[in-house]
Amino acid sequence: MALLEASSITVKFGGITALDDVAISVDAGEVTGLIGPNGAGKTTFFNVLTGMQDIAAGTVVLDGSDITALNVHQRARRGVARTFQRLETFGHLNALENVLVAAEMRQRWDRTGSGPASEARRCLDRVGLLAIADRQVANLPTGTARLVELARALAIRPRLLLLDEPSSGLSEVETHALSELLRGLAGEGLAVLLVEHDMSFVMGLCSQINVFTFGKNLAVGTPSEIRANPAVQASYLGSGHGEAQ
Amino acid sequence: MNLSRGNWAAIALTVAGAVLLSALNWSGRNFSAAAVGSMLVIGLTLGSIYAVSAFGLVVVYTTTGVFNFAQGALGMYWAFLYWELRFNRGWPAPIATIAVVLVIAPIGGVVLDRLIMRRMQSTPLVLQLMSTVGLMLGIMGLAATQWRVDRGRNSQPFFGRTGGFEIFSVNVTWHRLTTICVAIALALFLRLFLHSTRSGVAMRAVVDDRSLTSLTGVNPARISGLAWALGSSLAAIAGILIAPESGMVVELLTLVVIDAFAAAAVGRLASLPLTFLGAMILGVGQQFIRSFLDFPDGFSNADRALPTILLFVVVLALPQARVRAMGAIAATSSRTRQAMRLSDAALGGMALIVTVTAWSGGLIPFVGSWTGTGINRGVTMMITAIIMLSLVPLTGWAGQVNFAPLAFAGFGAVMFLKLAGDTGQAWGLVAAALLTAPIGVLIALPAVRLKGLYLALATMAFARGFELLFFTQPGVINPDSGERIAALHFMGWQLDGRSRGFLIFLTVVFAIGVIGLIALEHSRFGRRWMAINDSEAAAAMAGINLNETKVVVFAFSAAIAGFGGALFSIQQGTLNPSQFSLLLGLPIVLLVVVGGVAYPAAALFGGVSTIAFIVIKDRLGWTWLSALEILGPGAMAVALVARPRGAVFDIGRSLSPLLPWRDVPRQPRRSGRVIDQTYEIGDLGLTTPFTEEAMIDLDRQLDIADIIRPAVAPDAAAGDS
Repeated sequence: MALLEASSITVKFGGITALDDVAISVDAGEVTGLIGPNGAGKTTFFNVLTGMQDIAAGTVVLDGSDITALNVHQRARRGVARTFQRLETFGHLNALENVLVAAEMRQRWDRTGSGPASEARRCLDRVGLLAIADRQVANLPTGTARLVELARALAIRPRLLLLDEPSSGLSEVETHALSELLRGLAGEGLAVLLVEHDMSFVMGLCSQINVFTFGKNLAVGTPSEIRANPAVQASYLGSGHGEAQ
Repeated sequence: MNLSRGNWAAIALTVAGAVLLSALNWSGRNFSAAAVGSMLVIGLTLGSIYAVSAFGLVVVYTTTGVFNFAQGALGMYWAFLYWELRFNRGWPAPIATIAVVLVIAPIGGVVLDRLIMRRMQSTPLVLQLMSTVGLMLGIMGLAATQWRVDRGRNSQPFFGRTGGFEIFSVNVTWHRLTTICVAIALALFLRLFLHSTRSGVAMRAVVDDRSLTSLTGVNPARISGLAWALGSSLAAIAGILIAPESGMVVELLTLVVIDAFAAAAVGRLASLPLTFLGAMILGVGQQFIRSFLDFPDGFSNADRALPTILLFVVVLALPQARVRAMGAIAATSSRTRQAMRLSDAALGGMALIVTVTAWSGGLIPFVGSWTGTGINRGVTMMITAIIMLSLVPLTGWAGQVNFAPLAFAGFGAVMFLKLAGDTGQAWGLVAAALLTAPIGVLIALPAVRLKGLYLALATMAFARGFELLFFTQPGVINPDSGERIAALHFMGWQLDGRSRGFLIFLTVVFAIGVIGLIALEHSRFGRRWMAINDSEAAAAMAGINLNETKVVVFAFSAAIAGFGGALFSIQQGTLNPSQFSLLLGLPIVLLVVVGGVAYPAAALFGGVSTIAFIVIKDRLGWTWLSALEILGPGAMAVALVARPRGAVFDIGRSLSPLLPWRDVPRQPRRSGRVIDQTYEIGDLGLTTPFTEEAMIDLDRQLDIADIIRPAVAPDAAAGDS
């Protein structure tokens, strides 16, 4: 059984159906991709998984227990972490404090571990930002702030990590480092689900890729299967090289 | 609109409660057709005025996203202007009406939009609310200055006071008929305008997506100007129609139209028909209470408190807001934080204590010692500053607006009076603070699940409700009882409320409060509170329970305010319900925000400003300064749109290099200003104009050295060391 099983998710905005009976499953220890053209419902789907979006139908099951009715912070406690497509950082706080806020919550729930301060430093080090721990996040470049978000997500010690376009704003070298980091995290048993527009990044990293289009499942499979899928080519890959970033 | 089962339950409960209250307080007055008819006529007239005023709120809010707290004050001001033209200068009624409603008021609205409101649309909610509340006080101050209270004024109804016709033996004056017809006509006009004209449809579209609307060729700036012109005209109509019924008194006219908030809230600030319904319920309900109910002593304000109660009920019935990701611009457009070091806070606190002690004792040459008045003003300053401290964690860090700090303070004062008023024991201060904390929870619980604006409205309703229904209870504050609050009994000292010893005590308490808050700012509580302000979505994803966190910070804030209120009761010696009114509380909120509410030092700035206005008015004695204590805070709050970081931030940044122990001088400012906004490249040209300033900010975000663009801005190169 997969760590995350979301099934028959339907979301309606007034008369428009943003997600129509979609399903996805994410295994622990793997990086799973979610791609699709703009407006396919990827970010809406992330909102559903994290409890930020009401659904008309469907269930979200994490590690065998139904979390559909839980709200955002309860899901975080169960181990669902996420980053955002458009930055959501604590701009007034410095990089370390951003991570510390999350580490302190995990400490409060579990009362275990080495203390939130050292945990936060470890997470920040993991994304390579320990050197700028005391810089106020509002003044950081977008790509760097994105990594702060990732460190903050790691600090709640998640089981499922949802990343919404993590590579945007990063240089080629940084993107490569991010790839390595995500592979390492998956190796530790974390389930990673990422929305990406950078095709080489997705194809090189993910073991399974889900394709959404117009709020529906279009395809799911390994990178080579997805590349060869005629429906995907027609709706997405065929229309040039993805989209403008 | 779809009503959930919860909504219906809330409505049923409210109706049942209203029926029960009516039955319990039935006056036994004659319930004849004539009495009911006359109640309906007056009630519908009143409701019509609420409706017109609330329409103005809704039109401006749906179009520009700014909730205009100054709507009532605007209506009051235009009503005074109408009086000036019509009765003081003797213009004919139609000409004066047209001049005010169709010419001056719309122009005034457009000017407000151009000068103030347009700059506010991208600022944080706290600043938006403060600016419009500041505008409200500013306009009130302006009116009180222009039309001083030293003479009586009367605005006559249209078509005279006596004319009219009889229907079912009820006399309907022409003025009242006009009022009702105007409200209905305006409702129909607005409905047609917003749904069937190009400008109207554009107005409704703007609020959904400003950038998309501009792509369709509609100019959003023109649309927001139009909305403000319309809102201002509607305010004028409401003000002119109500003035003959309520009397020409600045506060009264302003507050009458504040009651329209409740009607707008019934329509969820968006629906005109529901707003109309809410207004009619309010008007008829109020008149019903006046006509047929007799409340016991202490509840005599029940009719005036009805809008407040309705607002609270509506807030309770609204559904929980979803956690939403707001995106980069909203999350990071706020100010740079300059956290004060604990050592600096301790040093500053000591300096303050030494200064106050020396000055009040006449130890500083040339400035002289403080007389009794001076000491008393110092005491007022320090107590105000302590109450203002309550807003630092709540509004400054957690971003929750609270217009009720003075109500909390009043509750604390009453608690001190009851517990330790006769002995003045110092433990009473702590007890008063602890007992006020649950009141903070009481107000926060229903409102924290909603958007920030509703919380602000709920706190305002709460402050007004406390003013009208709680402090007036004979069992709570009884000014005639001769109850006196004793001098503070602290560690063997007897500190009289107007003595130098009490002033020094307050200064020490304030300094300890500031140091404590600075320590708190660096603790996990401070971090958590700032986190929910910066990004609710990210905070929730980090596992923070938003509602619980907000309730906790509200309770903490209420406790500080309650503590300050207890000190206030010692200064005053006796309590009076009028000391804790909503209007008196607003300058307290505004001045600490002007100071820069995220910094505890802002409370001192606020306290000093409060006293400064009184001293300036007193010393200069110029008649045009007669309303300075509301005009001043109002004008300063409006100025927040230009200096959003607050005064102490700018003062601190200018002064900190002078401190000898600061070996590192201030950070070089790279182009003379800090990055105000984070840009996404894709936004440029759409939501953000492609200006050189935007490009410079963008370069800086991308860490491109300013050196490669030396020609862009001369000061960019000069400021970069």
